[in-house]
Amino acid sequence: MLIYISRRILQMLPTVLGVILITFILFNVVGGSPAAMTLGRHVTPQALEEFDEQRGFNKPLFFGWWTKTRALDDEAFRKTPGAESVEQGFIRMTNGAYTVPLAFSLRPNTTYRLEIEYRMADGASVFPNIGKNALEFSKDWKKTELIFQGLEKTSAKDLVFKVDGTLEVRELQLRRKMANPLDSQLVFFLKQIARFDFGMSSSLNQPVSGLLLKGMGPSLFLMIPVFFLELFLAIGIALICAFMRNTLVDRFFVVLAVALMSINYLVWIIAGQYVLSFKMGWFPVWGFASWGYLLLPVLIGVISGLGSNVRFYRTIMLDEMYKDYVRTAFAKGVSKSGVLFKHVLKNAMIPIVTNVITAIPFLYTGSLLLESFFGIPGLGYLAVNAVNSSDVDVIRAEVFIGAVLFVIFNLITDLCYAWLDPRVKLE
Amino acid sequence: MNSPKSKVQSPKSEEAGRSLWADAWAQLRRSRLAMACLFVVLVYTAMAVYGEAVYRVCRIKDITPSYQKQNLEEQYLAPSLPSRHPMGTDGLGRDVFQRLLQGTRIAFQVGIITSLIAIPIGVILGCIAGYFGGKTDDFIVWLYSTFASIPGLLFILAIAMVVGKGLLGVYLGIGLTTWVGLCRLIRGEVIKHKSRPYVMAARALGLGPFRIMFRHILPNVFHIVIVSFTLRFPAAISTEVFMSFLGIGVQGEPSWGVMISNARLRLWHGVWWEMTFVTLAIFGIVLAFNLLGDALRDALDPRLKTGEV
Repeated sequence: MLIYISRRILQMLPTVLGVILITFILFNVVGGSPAAMTLGRHVTPQALEEFDEQRGFNKPLFFGWWTKTRALDDEAFRKTPGAESVEQGFIRMTNGAYTVPLAFSLRPNTTYRLEIEYRMADGASVFPNIGKNALEFSKDWKKTELIFQGLEKTSAKDLVFKVDGTLEVRELQLRRKMANPLDSQLVFFLKQIARFDFGMSSSLNQPVSGLLLKGMGPSLFLMIPVFFLELFLAIGIALICAFMRNTLVDRFFVVLAVALMSINYLVWIIAGQYVLSFKMGWFPVWGFASWGYLLLPVLIGVISGLGSNVRFYRTIMLDEMYKDYVRTAFAKGVSKSGVLFKHVLKNAMIPIVTNVITAIPFLYTGSLLLESFFGIPGLGYLAVNAVNSSDVDVIRAEVFIGAVLFVIFNLITDLCYAWLDPRVKLE
Repeated sequence: MNSPKSKVQSPKSEEAGRSLWADAWAQLRRSRLAMACLFVVLVYTAMAVYGEAVYRVCRIKDITPSYQKQNLEEQYLAPSLPSRHPMGTDGLGRDVFQRLLQGTRIAFQVGIITSLIAIPIGVILGCIAGYFGGKTDDFIVWLYSTFASIPGLLFILAIAMVVGKGLLGVYLGIGLTTWVGLCRLIRGEVIKHKSRPYVMAARALGLGPFRIMFRHILPNVFHIVIVSFTLRFPAAISTEVFMSFLGIGVQGEPSWGVMISNARLRLWHGVWWEMTFVTLAIFGIVLAFNLLGDALRDALDPRLKTGEV
């Protein structure tokens, strides 16, 4: 058994790695830095850079020496004061000093690289404030790299071109050198996970792990009763259906189940809140002050999930009903209820257990809608608010933890199989 | 598990006289409920097509469509039958019926486009995994079990958040997360079919693996795709309603979710009609598709169980 467990745990690892990779690809590679989205338009690039620094977004994605800096946007040089902007997307500078403004001072003791694509029909050009770098004469477009230190004394908030002749620049990119090429966003993310630190919520300005811990309680208070009530009700009704198969009662429940499934979750909530809380005044409308506030959300949670569960369990039980052992049991003269409770229910346990255990991780994320409608400060509420304020760290943490819990509970399901059904071989 | 019934749906045999599809259609025709559902679906489709036409025409002619036209003198008109607004008007005097039709259009768009994203992914990956086996299979199984372990709704919301508010986020969010079930089913079926004589014959004739997969095996497992489509359509619609309601879905157009969100606060002031009609519309289409999907599944493949698709 121990060997089986440890082997299953090993099998779990690729999935966890996959989850890490997918969340990383989704949020870091595709999404990119949410700084501009979160902080809004009217902030300085310095504030954006600090935001990125805190969340590791200013590092290379996977691996690399060079990374972008917000000190000079790749397009910003086109607005160099005094330079003549030419149609084909390059700027022309003739005889004089030109200043490309940087958004903020470069970091001291850090190496920077300036990539220039230029041509210079005549004359020469130097950068007096970033060392002794000079551009070579070149008639055709040419790319060159200038390496320099962002020193303290380079109060150099700006890049100065000193041009003697005509210099045309088509591309200008400033990159910062990392002290360690492995210091990437991926490693930063992995380190965070290892420390159980899920970053800072940008909208609430609190550590995400704290928010998650705080939200877990209310979510569980809501979801655990929903979970158990639904489980017992659904299995109970499914048993009744299986027991009275093809009678009016069975038909009634089947139709009811499909109808319940087809009513949108939103409608249950809105109608429940309006009719039962507002019109009848049976339940409080909004808030999380005492257990009374949980009654209506729990009720709605149970009803909205009941349909699909009843259908699912009924199908499982009917599936068993056609098996040989049931026929044998009937032939032996076992009563209908005896067959149902002793034989069928026991054998239907495996799919039921799978369904039940794999539903547990979803308890943790709570119910997005129930919580935001009834003002229950759980994880669902947190997630909805985070999506609305593009709070990436919160969503990423919830997605990640939800997935890991799912993987863990899958493992538990497998172990339950082995425990419930001796036929499951522990090879 | 391999019940004798399953042999019926293997290669389409001419001697049997009727193909699987003809058989299934005959069975479907016998069920009055299924035909009623099919009719309902067709009515909704017509509504969606009409909505699309109105939308297009208004865009080409560059006029404000009637579902956006505000008329502050006709705020909150209650529904009455022989009138210009059979379903009443909303808080800005816009006609609820016209908005409902536009909602149908958007719901169908979401259902179809998300299927166009998810079904090819599921089918292609499922076929490749099942047919080639080995390392390829391991990789694809790893990929889908990873996707399956991420909580669905949160995953969809996360994708939508990254892509940005709007329909594109809805399409990608739903489309990229809901292919797993289909992929799993197709993979299982392809594994079963791989060792059947007709596949071996095709291989002996020297046909390439992709030709065998998509020309020979796929038609034999295509009923899974059909059933899966019918069952995922209502789910996609419900998810869209939910997302639009939260404000990260459709922007500036009358989707059902947006309408519910607007109608919700007015409900408290006794304006019941917008809410009621939208609710009924959603209920109707979801119910019809769910029942139709069940009937199709029974007709096409009795072995597929609830909860697997």
